[in-house]
Amino acid sequence: MTTLADMGGRAEFYGPVQHVPEEPAFHADWERRAFGCAVFASGVLNPTGPDLDSARWAIEQIEPEDYLGPYYWRWLRGLELQLEQLKWLRPGEVDARIQGEPPLPGGRHVAKVQTKVAGATLRMIARPTLPRWMAAHLLPRVIGGNRPTLRRPRFKVGGAVRVRSERIDTHTRQPGYVTGKPGTIVGNSGAARFSDERALGRRSKPQYVYTVAFAGRDLWGEAAEPDTEVRIELFESYLEAP
Amino acid sequence: MTAADPRAIRVEAVESLLAEKGLVDPAVVDTIIEHYETNVGPLNGAKVVARAWTDPAFRNRLLDNGTKAIAELGFGGPEGAMMVAIENTPDVHNVVVCTLCSCYPWPVLGLPPTWYKSSEYRSRMVAEPRKLLGEMGLEVPATKKVRVWDSSVEARYLVIPERPAGTEAMSADDLAGLVTRDSMIGVAVATVPGSD
Repeated sequence: MTTLADMGGRAEFYGPVQHVPEEPAFHADWERRAFGCAVFASGVLNPTGPDLDSARWAIEQIEPEDYLGPYYWRWLRGLELQLEQLKWLRPGEVDARIQGEPPLPGGRHVAKVQTKVAGATLRMIARPTLPRWMAAHLLPRVIGGNRPTLRRPRFKVGGAVRVRSERIDTHTRQPGYVTGKPGTIVGNSGAARFSDERALGRRSKPQYVYTVAFAGRDLWGEAAEPDTEVRIELFESYLEAP
Repeated sequence: MTAADPRAIRVEAVESLLAEKGLVDPAVVDTIIEHYETNVGPLNGAKVVARAWTDPAFRNRLLDNGTKAIAELGFGGPEGAMMVAIENTPDVHNVVVCTLCSCYPWPVLGLPPTWYKSSEYRSRMVAEPRKLLGEMGLEVPATKKVRVWDSSVEARYLVIPERPAGTEAMSADDLAGLVTRDSMIGVAVATVPGSD
């Protein structure tokens, strides 16, 4: 099963890359606001650290024409969908606001303290430079997905593996183009929260994340360019003995 | 951009609703935007690379643990929980993509440019990197391996381009001026002094 976001190696997306060397971060004011709102709302919804897995899964569920539109439009539509699923936004509420209709009665409101805490946290990290301990130790622990585990890794660095032949069609970090392909473990990043389950709001045990190297020829066969390699981090449950 | 842009109207409607519900504080949204437009950008990464070029002990720390070494310069935060520096050498050229979304090392490069997030770049870079790099102005010699890093889980990659020849006398500050965003993604090499 292929999904729209799984673009690696898919010829239907091929074309010239419109490369602009000194491109700015934003091209319109609405892009700025959409970005800032998504960052802030994520801070309120996830006070113990961002949940990119759920946010990415929401983006993967928006309409294809929205997904293929401008990048921050994708973020906005994903945010709307996520907030509807979490019952923070009611269906039609945004359209009603655009039409100038009066606010719907009732509805949920975030506790004021939550808004304040999220705001203070974001202001704290919105500085040109951060104290070293904060950048090196505190923030990686809060923001990053790494979690301790007592289990031993199933695979060794240097060992041969194969990516399992199935790919789920909900959120996953297993691209279609490596599915079923043989590779070599070249690194172990430690254990991390498992994106596929977390995106669906489920708890699961942390899994080891390995960097796996794939030879171009193993991925693309005869069409591969000479002496090319792809390296990608993959969760342990995607991998099998060769 | 006109006031009638339906995307702008929708974003404004969403922001006003979220502000009423306490999901957004517009004043802090201003701060976040300003932060990513002024504080965070490729100049941060350029400082890291220039330091690595001029300070062998720092280079070793950077290759050993990117997050901790980059934190020495005060850079870190969202999308930088596990920074990994990868070094270009005479034998290997490295280039970064995110085929599944648009993962990018924000603390050192800022927010990603549109082309990096495009369907064309995401689909092609893993499958035909030499051809695509050539179209983007970088011919990688056949004697060099091309290694494509597809960002997917924890690691966010910073390419350390090769230091151009003839720059031995330059200070770290001046060297940073040679390190472009594109060279730290791997779709270009560092600028050769006097070439522009």
